[in-house]
Amino acid sequence: MASAPAAAQHGDSGLQPERTDLAWSRTTLAMVAAAAVFLRWLPHHGWFVGTLVGGAIVTALAINFTQKRRFRRAVRGINQESMPPNIGSTAAVAASVVILAALGIYTVLFLPLQP
Amino acid sequence: MHEGTTLPEDSNTGGPDARGRFTSRILRGGTEPDPRFTLANERTFLAWIRTALALLAGGVAVEAFMADLLGPGLRKTIAVLLLVLALVIGGGSFFRWLNVERAMRSKTPLPLPLIAPVLAIGGALVAAIMVVFVIARPA
Repeated sequence: MASAPAAAQHGDSGLQPERTDLAWSRTTLAMVAAAAVFLRWLPHHGWFVGTLVGGAIVTALAINFTQKRRFRRAVRGINQESMPPNIGSTAAVAASVVILAALGIYTVLFLPLQP
Repeated sequence: MHEGTTLPEDSNTGGPDARGRFTSRILRGGTEPDPRFTLANERTFLAWIRTALALLAGGVAVEAFMADLLGPGLRKTIAVLLLVLALVIGGGSFFRWLNVERAMRSKTPLPLPLIAPVLAIGGALVAAIMVVFVIARPA
């Protein structure tokens, strides 16, 4: 492992940074899958569904583009034996899911099916 | 220390110090736990988030794909139930994460997950409605 960049090296045999990184990746994929299912609503509920598709895609992209930063932070945390919890990322993803669910409820209840 | 004076570490406004202060206020002090526990908590949070996303996709799928099978009333009821469950689990997962983080920092026992029985009861309710529908439906 001598060739690996120093910022990615850690001594954790439990591979915590890698597992956490993959957990975020799976969440990105779940977000993309949700966006794909929202697309199915587009012909029935009209343009408003675009906010749901767009919201899920933007969240997935935001997670994807911050992956490296979170991984480095986790490696640094393991190496320094201390790491502040990532409130920003967790709050943002949870808020995104809450907003998407609220928009979904609004769509089902107030936007009638178009023939 | 005198009234009105500020600690050296509090003298910066904006930047990482202000952010750190905000973080420690939300976390209610305590000491950093083992970073492995912090990362484990983060992964558990993400597992809850993915559960919420599955419920979200499920709610949308019921409304989008079951138009031929379910009447509009039942379809709407199940879809809204699943979407409300997604909203509660998604929002609750953040507070679950925060409460676990606080407990680890203050070295108190971890709180019980309130969203677990919510998910169990909500999921059972949707399943029960579907069972009744399948049994009552004329063949």
